Amino acid sequence: MLLKKTLIALTVSALFLSGCGSSSSDDNTTVEETGFTFDATELITNLTNDVIVTGYDTLNDKANAFFIATQTLVNTPTEANLLIAQNAWKAAREPWEQGESHIFGPVDSLSIDPHLDSWPLNTSDLQSLLDGTSTFSADFIALLNDDVQGFHTMEFLLFGDGVDDNEKLIADMSEREREYLSATAEVFYGYTQDLYNAWVSSDDAYQDKLLTVDNDIYTSQLAVVEELINGMIGIIDEVGTGKIADPFGADIDSINTSKVESQYSWNSLTDFTDNIKGVQNVYRGEFENATDKTGIIDFVSAADATLASRVDDEIAAAITAIIAIASEDELPFRQAISDTDGRVRIQTAIDALATLQASLENDVLTLLNDWKV
Amino acid sequence: MNIFTQKKQCLSLIVSLSAILLSGCNSGSSDKKTVIEYPDYTYVEKLGDEATAINASHSGHGFSTPMPTLSAEELEIHLAGDANFETAFTTAPNSEHPELDGVGPVFNNQDCNSCHQRDGRPSTITVPEGQDRILLDSAAGIFLRMSIDDGNCSTPSIENNYCKNKGVPDFGEQLFHRGVLKARADWQELPFVGQANVYLAYEYSTVNYADGNSVELKKPVFTIERPYDVTAENQLNSAILQADVRYSPRNGMPVFGLGLLELIAEADILALADENDVDSDGISGRPNWVFDAIKARDNDPLPVSLGRFGWKANTPSVRVQSLGALRGDMGITNPLFPDESIANTAMHESYLTRTGFIDTGVDENDEPEASQVFSDEVVFYAETLAVPARRNINDKTVVAGAVLFEQINCTSCHHPDFVTLAGNVQLGGVDAPEALKGQHIYPFTDMLLHDLGTGLADNRRDFTATGNEWKTRPLWGIGLTKTVNPAAGFLHDGRADNIEEAILWHGGEALQSKNDFMALEQAERQSLIDFVMSL
Repeated sequence: MLLKKTLIALTVSALFLSGCGSSSSDDNTTVEETGFTFDATELITNLTNDVIVTGYDTLNDKANAFFIATQTLVNTPTEANLLIAQNAWKAAREPWEQGESHIFGPVDSLSIDPHLDSWPLNTSDLQSLLDGTSTFSADFIALLNDDVQGFHTMEFLLFGDGVDDNEKLIADMSEREREYLSATAEVFYGYTQDLYNAWVSSDDAYQDKLLTVDNDIYTSQLAVVEELINGMIGIIDEVGTGKIADPFGADIDSINTSKVESQYSWNSLTDFTDNIKGVQNVYRGEFENATDKTGIIDFVSAADATLASRVDDEIAAAITAIIAIASEDELPFRQAISDTDGRVRIQTAIDALATLQASLENDVLTLLNDWKV
Repeated sequence: MNIFTQKKQCLSLIVSLSAILLSGCNSGSSDKKTVIEYPDYTYVEKLGDEATAINASHSGHGFSTPMPTLSAEELEIHLAGDANFETAFTTAPNSEHPELDGVGPVFNNQDCNSCHQRDGRPSTITVPEGQDRILLDSAAGIFLRMSIDDGNCSTPSIENNYCKNKGVPDFGEQLFHRGVLKARADWQELPFVGQANVYLAYEYSTVNYADGNSVELKKPVFTIERPYDVTAENQLNSAILQADVRYSPRNGMPVFGLGLLELIAEADILALADENDVDSDGISGRPNWVFDAIKARDNDPLPVSLGRFGWKANTPSVRVQSLGALRGDMGITNPLFPDESIANTAMHESYLTRTGFIDTGVDENDEPEASQVFSDEVVFYAETLAVPARRNINDKTVVAGAVLFEQINCTSCHHPDFVTLAGNVQLGGVDAPEALKGQHIYPFTDMLLHDLGTGLADNRRDFTATGNEWKTRPLWGIGLTKTVNPAAGFLHDGRADNIEEAILWHGGEALQSKNDFMALEQAERQSLIDFVMSL
């Protein structure tokens, strides 16, 4: 077949010529060697297995514990069991918020993120459901819209509206609220199981996409490292310019408490802190107080040890600044935004996050251009 | 690397074919010479010219970065639009979030991001093991357009209502399969269901290559149940289940680089049209001429423009596309589309009466649910997302694939490049940002309609596009599709799981190119795919 033969000939020529063009160029040009070398294999293996997958495993365990706590609450509705369920909710929140430093892959493609963490609540429809006669099973809840399930729906049921306090009493929690909570917790646990399985258990386990590059998702180790760095930047930006800045407003007259994340439980500052601890996990390569392992810091250090140390300090400073917002008065974030001194501390945290974000965008991300993979 | 220098080097070489086979640039005698012409695009890395993403083109952030040349003020608008793009709306009234209520009452999704995940394609929904179909829910980034079959329409005029499709009575032109809790009178039984439930299943077929390799293709099949206008026992009498109703599934599509596509000169696009195939190459290429809501708003006597966006090029601008989706797909009225998508249907009237007129499409100040500022920001965002850079452009197989791509005539429809308009130009009725102007872009689309055969046909016209025609999809960034969303699929209904499957679905005007692709050796086919994946 003529066409076929022609194509083969040209293709072979094309392959050949490409090589000739390159070598010809090399012969005539003196190229100054720049850049740095770094073998990212251990970094990617460690961050994939021991940070991301381990984090999702922990989330799944905490979600299971939370579901069990809600079942106990349904069967034995006491003040103590409500407190246990509230604390179990907060415990599940921690790995989720830390995992927001690497929001890519199945958490998006399986719509886990909107299923688990939609905001704002649809309080109108939620109340109608509670006032109605439907039986609340996991199958029923799973078919509902995302804004009447997930973390914040369960938070609302567990802690109340959060306006004056975050200490809902069992006497204020109806039987139907408890049933709705538990059915939602069961669906929630199903999603965390799906998320973990997608990374490790399926035929097309997502962890393999990172561990063995040159596939249809990541064509190189550079792609994975780029993903990880941009993931850190993404959550720092969201915390600094969204989660904190949006309710904070331009001045004290433009605050908006309705935009405060986890406003019912008053868990906001813990959420923000965990977000940046998630950044620290990826950067350092290990969870807090764990044995030193390879992280992005080692990649940066291969190019510029001073920069690596500076960014590590900036992450720690951002975490410290967020924690400091509460002060010794233990102000929750929703109150701190309307407190004069609190606003000063919040601005300090925003500035610390902006500094960190600028370093990652301008100094760390750009190292990809100098990395001789 | 200086791409232009390298290209000239290659073009200037005359090489011996026998020498190639013996391997070695300067060895062998010259008994047979072949001049290789590398297409201009072969080594182009920055497909969006200066509007190309920096340090995000290998990862899942590749579709989500602002154009690097935006001014500080423009960047601020873009970032506000970014937040709007992810904003989820809730049922009205929501006393805690009055600025975010008003979704629906029927809709396909509650925020832009759900159908344009990470600014790319949505996940193709899979049918779980043990099931033969799945209900479309919040995870679905696909919906059905629908209309009454009334024949083709070639020249829009006031007499033929500018070739607008004829909506299904009491439904409209889009099937809103989701809703707020009480969208339907039977909401206790069917909470959060919209105009009807839609189920998805797949049919499978196999394509065999001459070399013995084969590929399994899947095609979605949609079933509609429980339409709101009839009882469960009387479904076949529903207005949307009549024989003259035509459906077209529409997947969400990537939203980067759109402002650049809108700034391609109309004359440059029309110059590529060959409606009657005068050059007899088997490729025609027709513009779609569509109703333009902005021209209508501005009292233009002929509110019709060249269609540029959507799977059938059925919208003229990013503004009309985005704000049409805000009102339609999500049910959020806005200044350009102030009426609810189901206004004046029995469903809306029933909903309003039943719920005490709580969602009439206006906010507490009698304004549309999305403000002008919110709308402008989200439009600007979609206009100014950067195009990802190419990857692996020096890989030998990619280079060879670039040549093959031209040789088997993919470029006839996937036209490689344009230069965007400069000077005092407008975008969707407002001044265009400087970042978009005068850019030499490589989108790999001619922006025209082509008959792609019966395999892909939806058999539903859309303005002047026939049931067999689709707009040539831009290929820039396509290689990052699964990096952005691992579950994303290709083509208008997400049926193709990869580039090879998408190619194999081509027919009609593209049949010869597909056949030529199938006639290649396996390594050559892979080479062509590698090139497309490098885009």
